[in-house]
Amino acid sequence: MTRLLFNFLIFPGFLFTAIVGLIASWIDRKVTARIQWRVGPPWYQPLIDLVKLSIKEITVPRSASKGLFFLSPMIGLSAVTFVSTLIWLVNIDPVSKGFSGDIIVIMYLLTLPAIAIILGASSSGNPLASLGASREIKLVMAYELPFIICLIVPVIKSHGLLRLSEIINYQAVNGSFIASLSGIIAFIVMIFCMQAKLGLVPFDASEAETEIMGGALIEYSGMLLAIFKLTKTMLMVALPLFLITLFWQGFNFLSIWKYVVLLVIIVLIRNTNPRVRVDQAVRFFWGKMTLMAILAVLLAIKGM
Amino acid sequence: MKILLEPILVSIIAGLFILVIPKRFRKVIEFFSLITSVYLFIAGIKIFFAAPLNAGYFYVDGLSRFIVPAIGFFGMLVTLYSMRSMASYKDVSSYYTYILWTIGSSILAAVSNNIILLLVSWGFLGFTLYALINISGPKAAAISKKTFIIIGGSDSLMILGFGIMWLMTKSLNLSDMRIDITAPMAFWSFLLVATGAFAKAGAMPFHTWIPETAQEAPISVTAFLPASLDKLLGIYLLARLTLNVFILNSFTYAILMVIGSITIIAAVMMALVQHDFKKLLGYHAVSQVGYMVLGIGTGNPIGIAGGLFHMLNNAIYKCCLFLSGGNVEYKTKTSDLDRIGGLAKIMPITFFASVIAALSISGVPPFNGFFSKWMIYQGLIEKGKSGGVLWIICLAAAMFGSGLTLASFIKLIHAIFLGQRADGKENSRRDEVSWQMWLPVSILAILCVIFGIFAYQIPLKFFIRPALGAGVVFIGEWQTLKATLLLFAGLVIGLIIYFLGNFKSVRMSDSYIGGEPVEKDMRLSGTEFYNTVKEYGLLRIIYKKAEAGFFDIYEQGKALVFGIGGFFQYLHNGILPTYLVWTLLGMMGLFLFFMR
Repeated sequence: MTRLLFNFLIFPGFLFTAIVGLIASWIDRKVTARIQWRVGPPWYQPLIDLVKLSIKEITVPRSASKGLFFLSPMIGLSAVTFVSTLIWLVNIDPVSKGFSGDIIVIMYLLTLPAIAIILGASSSGNPLASLGASREIKLVMAYELPFIICLIVPVIKSHGLLRLSEIINYQAVNGSFIASLSGIIAFIVMIFCMQAKLGLVPFDASEAETEIMGGALIEYSGMLLAIFKLTKTMLMVALPLFLITLFWQGFNFLSIWKYVVLLVIIVLIRNTNPRVRVDQAVRFFWGKMTLMAILAVLLAIKGM
Repeated sequence: MKILLEPILVSIIAGLFILVIPKRFRKVIEFFSLITSVYLFIAGIKIFFAAPLNAGYFYVDGLSRFIVPAIGFFGMLVTLYSMRSMASYKDVSSYYTYILWTIGSSILAAVSNNIILLLVSWGFLGFTLYALINISGPKAAAISKKTFIIIGGSDSLMILGFGIMWLMTKSLNLSDMRIDITAPMAFWSFLLVATGAFAKAGAMPFHTWIPETAQEAPISVTAFLPASLDKLLGIYLLARLTLNVFILNSFTYAILMVIGSITIIAAVMMALVQHDFKKLLGYHAVSQVGYMVLGIGTGNPIGIAGGLFHMLNNAIYKCCLFLSGGNVEYKTKTSDLDRIGGLAKIMPITFFASVIAALSISGVPPFNGFFSKWMIYQGLIEKGKSGGVLWIICLAAAMFGSGLTLASFIKLIHAIFLGQRADGKENSRRDEVSWQMWLPVSILAILCVIFGIFAYQIPLKFFIRPALGAGVVFIGEWQTLKATLLLFAGLVIGLIIYFLGNFKSVRMSDSYIGGEPVEKDMRLSGTEFYNTVKEYGLLRIIYKKAEAGFFDIYEQGKALVFGIGGFFQYLHNGILPTYLVWTLLGMMGLFLFFMR
């Protein structure tokens, strides 16, 4: 239990993922800045931002339901910490076999950060936050369908394995799924779903600073906002790793380039697209993406 | 034998006795029925610990055994709840009579082995359901009639099915039957009896009475019958059929799986766009049946165990949700989502209970709904190992259905408890309902947590595994306790980070919307959340058709019956020359026939 707690709190759980996430978010900001012909921040900027938020005053709207308003950021952080611990462990710790069915558990836990944002936003009692929450939940509904269908692809290809560590081993023997046609299609769909899960452009309608002033996060300030930001940052580590584990033969410290590749893709998508309206996002995910996901499943059944 | 008959007899006599007590002594009636329901719960527990019995008229084994105390438990909670919630109803004595009779006959239905006994108690439940819906006055009359026709009609199909089974086995005892589905007529008898189970539990296409009942009947009745008891009985019967009575083939299992998946998705899509929270919950009561049918339809132990566990869990959180809805309605006198809002501060207990139940029904770990859904998914994947494509569709439907469930409950929680107050008042003095109403809700919410965290230690060990005998092998071990502790540790991390910051200067302020004052008409109630979905391509047409009653088997049946009736009405118009013409035409026909 102490070992587990260590794993959860320090390595590779909370602290480690947070540090990696902060670095990743620095890369994100630096590349974005270079694309926009700016210099960009120094490497410790994300950390400084958190520290800055920590000394700010916390304001709570009078109309808020306080219990849930304070609890929501913690729920999101807790879920993402749990997920990243699970994913790191099956990848880097040969002792940890995970448990069977952990794919499904991770899938469910990955929706918790979004739920946390929605609950927090709607408990603030601000109409703009409600608007942001409504957009966020629609987005969740939209990307969840192709995400689930794509999640079935590795299960089919590995003949019904439900344990991440076994899926990694299967890929080690039979080649990674991404090399097959169905695998690459599912992987591409998953990248778009990941972008939406991270709430980055073009799927950031729920926060839309220029339009609804931060939307779901409008009433959050100080440390509570910092926790939400930290959750997003950690999610930026956990989600790409989950994808790599499922489709790309897993991950160790030598193959850090896989993560960098995904990160660059995220940053590129984010910088080359305008924000879409939420109904366009629903159309995109329930239309094209779902069709592609179904195609991937069909190909996977055929063994391609 | 005595232990089984006693509670049934007591419930009947106590019900009759309540009818005798003058209606003035309201307190006496309430207290007496509460005592009786507590007694029935205790008797249910006794039956749970009784020796197995599967001969003669009664059938007490692992499967029926855990249904009985559950029936008593929900009966007790609802009776306690009704003491306050039914305060505005006049005819309180017949209400409690029907509630007690329902408990008694449900117990009888769960333990009967003889099919005649089963049918009698089953039919009697249809009658009490009709009476209980009808109690809320003339508005409910049409709905209670509809319910009675659907339930009664499916009961008659069930009688037909049991008749065929009797012809095949020459036995009236369920325990003696072991019918291979490939035998002639066996498939049809299974389908006919399963229709009865589907109508009771509310699987598609026999579901249409549930949402409308939820809207019109007293909410304690909805929480008692369609939400918990009818699920327990309907799924119990289905499980009994698939486990003990029939030997099914893969085709029949496939039918069950398809029915389950369609029920999940279609009902939850309807729930998304509702404006009345009772109706919304009613559609969820339908949608969840899909998971149970799907679980049983997988046909492997883990899937069936998941289905049964989901049945138990569903009864718990669904009852909790309906009763919390009742609390809200009691306070605000409305169930229209557009006219409520911001109740979280006023009714904190109801709020937290509903959030827990809502997260459970959406399958969020570590609550109980997640665990049973996870078992059902495992069952599906286990099924997938033998090939085929159907399991993939069902798995995607089940998982996505749970996402949609979450979405519609976000809407519900937002519209009722969060967001702005509908009346625009700033007053947020705590004003919780009385203890008779919040206690049952909190008990059920706590059960949701316990059944989720200690899933292996309590419900699976005592209720589900004995029901299936040996053979439930988990392909996965989700260590609920450990995981919950870790999630809790995550919350603690969040708290620590929070206290690292400048937590002392917390300032209350008005909502910020760009410096403008917040006006009353800026309120977003939450009912309009999914209007984009409603307008999306093909879905728009389906929604229109559904709202017009196109998929309602009752409306279609009514149209058919009235169509035939209308034809004869057209012929019998009471005008003599028309009759003469018909007679002449008939005679000409006869002549032609004979003179050929």
